[in-house]
Amino acid sequence: MIEVHELRKVYGERTILGGITATFEKGQVVALVGPSGGGKSTLLRCLNGLESFDSGRVVVGGETLLPGGAKVNRAALHRVRQRVGMVFQQWNLFAHRTALGNVIEAPVHVKGAPLAQATERGRELLARVGLSHREGAYPHEMSGGEQQRVAIARALAMDPEVLLLDEPTSALDPERVGEVLDVLGALAADGLTMLIVTHEMRFAREVSHRTLVLHGGQIIEEGPSRSVIDDPKHERTRAFLGLDRK
Amino acid sequence: MRGSNRRTAAKSTVVAFGPVSRLWWVVLLAMAVLSCHGRAAPTSALARVRAAGVLRWGGDIQGGEPYVYEDSEHGGRLTGFEVELASALARELGVRAQFVQNDWSALIPSLERGTFDVALNGVEVTAQRVGRVRFTRPYYIFGARLMARRDDARILATLASLRGRRVGTLANSYSYELLRGVAEVVPYEGVEEPYIDLVQGRTDAVLLDDIIATRYGEPKPELRVVGDLTDGYYSIAVRPGEADLQQALDRALARITASGELERILRGSNIWSDRERRLLAWTDDDQRRMLGTAAAGQRFGWSHVVLFAKGALVTLLLSALSMCLAIPLGIGLAVTRLFGPKALSRLAGAYVELYRGTPVLLQLYVLYYGLAPIVKLDALPAAVIGLGMNYAAYEAEVYRAGIQAVPRGQMEAALSLGMSLPLALRRVVLPQAFRLALPSVTNDFIALLKDSSLVSVITVVELTKQMTITAVDIRGWALPGALCALMYFLMSYPLSLWAQRLEARLARS
Repeated sequence: MIEVHELRKVYGERTILGGITATFEKGQVVALVGPSGGGKSTLLRCLNGLESFDSGRVVVGGETLLPGGAKVNRAALHRVRQRVGMVFQQWNLFAHRTALGNVIEAPVHVKGAPLAQATERGRELLARVGLSHREGAYPHEMSGGEQQRVAIARALAMDPEVLLLDEPTSALDPERVGEVLDVLGALAADGLTMLIVTHEMRFAREVSHRTLVLHGGQIIEEGPSRSVIDDPKHERTRAFLGLDRK
Repeated sequence: MRGSNRRTAAKSTVVAFGPVSRLWWVVLLAMAVLSCHGRAAPTSALARVRAAGVLRWGGDIQGGEPYVYEDSEHGGRLTGFEVELASALARELGVRAQFVQNDWSALIPSLERGTFDVALNGVEVTAQRVGRVRFTRPYYIFGARLMARRDDARILATLASLRGRRVGTLANSYSYELLRGVAEVVPYEGVEEPYIDLVQGRTDAVLLDDIIATRYGEPKPELRVVGDLTDGYYSIAVRPGEADLQQALDRALARITASGELERILRGSNIWSDRERRLLAWTDDDQRRMLGTAAAGQRFGWSHVVLFAKGALVTLLLSALSMCLAIPLGIGLAVTRLFGPKALSRLAGAYVELYRGTPVLLQLYVLYYGLAPIVKLDALPAAVIGLGMNYAAYEAEVYRAGIQAVPRGQMEAALSLGMSLPLALRRVVLPQAFRLALPSVTNDFIALLKDSSLVSVITVVELTKQMTITAVDIRGWALPGALCALMYFLMSYPLSLWAQRLEARLARS
């Protein structure tokens, strides 16, 4: 589904991504974990062109993204982004639209779906994330957890083949984390392909099939989630997971 | 008469103190203050001038050759037949002449408030001015010269032939008074522009003093002299209470006329004509006849209020249309500057800097007169385009700030949903930027309401212009000024309230 070849990105002196190669299969849920600044979010954002990279390439469902950013990849990005959804740490709901308005915006204006049909589908999706009663609410009237669930519904409205989630629970109040993880767990159970950058180790262990550990712009460890998280081989992974302190 | 007016005004302010709202109290106070100022102390003006050793005379260098101008060949020395005349008269009074620069259209108010002793700069004897100032005997007799396009045979040398035609002249001039009620008068503030517009076909004829016509109209090959309609007079204007100064100046004028010095001065500027011979035998009867045309000053009445309302409507329409142009153009500029290709982005930046960095008056001038040979815009469209293009530069900056204040995540979310950059801008970023910009836009609109008064330079009669015209008619600034201010206030205050409410609402969400 997604192939990453020798992906490299430097920012001045600093190497953000140091030549990453990885493949993400259809139907899999993959967790990207590791310490802050390890390159997880940057890698994720390279996959739908929100970040440019300096060398290597990304192939998403047959579309190839090359170094050079939006200018070079305009046509490919346009297709990639319609097939790849994204959920942000800060939700980024459209502040001037209601919950339902956020969900139907792209189907209507990007895909050209009829308003009635998009609305019906939008309501279904809001029901799926448990927010039918909030469809008329504006973002500033909702809690973080509610906003993030609307953001997930918004991404799903485009029927993405892959959902990229960039720390979807990091900015939430602790008591709101559960409601979002429940929704994501249900999506995983339905077989949606997801790449999720997260610090929720228990969630990664329970829900994701594979876990990649990024550190210093390199994948330092990868494998089935249970084995990576329960019994990491790399000392930095152990340190990150706090296993050595026991 | 004026004294009793003053008492009434004072009484009404006292009455206003109690039940009438604070706003009215402020307006009435302003009126009372305005109507009290400008009366000189009744001591001997001649003695004052002699004691000072200088006769301060007001004029406007901008009026140009041959009146008063700076001689570029002699290091900007003040030259002109009125400079020579002032020197000769001062010499006769035993003092020195001292020139005081003053905008021509404000010579009489400046005289009244005491900026100089006399106004001596092509001040024509008109009915309106006779009631306001004291005039000496004339030093020049001019013909009100009618000019038209060479190929336009409809215009004849009679006022009647001008009925319903667009005729250009200087605002509040002798010719302006002649034309009022006959032709559709187009008022100008400079002497060159009426003829430029006549050539361009924006007007059908121009009626102005022969000196001006000779210098600015007759050199244009497209124009012809139709004829001189009537004789008019240049006199020296003195404050009403200073009869002794006026009489001394009259005696001095009589002496230099008799001695041939006046003729020498006028011949020096090539403006001595057969008409001027009448100056040699000027009698008290002539003087009475000259002043006798003086009509009583008009009373401020409903007809003026209607004119003011029309002026206010023009102001409002002009501002609204200009803003309708400025907003989309400003958005376009801001978006181009932020997201356009480098060359276009630079161009948009240059536009903003150019329009913000040069006076809007100059821009209006270039648009209306400078570009006339290429695009011949009517005054009102030119005013709308000129103000709109100027304000677009400010709106561009307001929107740029607004767009930059929309969190980056909004654009990223839009792009990640497959929106193109233009679609993301249109559907997501700009609607939010617009909300952020709205209070500033409202403030700009209020500023535009007032800036729109600048378009009187390109002959649009809006509220402020109407006010100055009426002030001349009724010989007083207080009432028209207060009404004009009130009308601006009534237009801008609701907007201001609206902007405040908007800001409060935005601050909450």
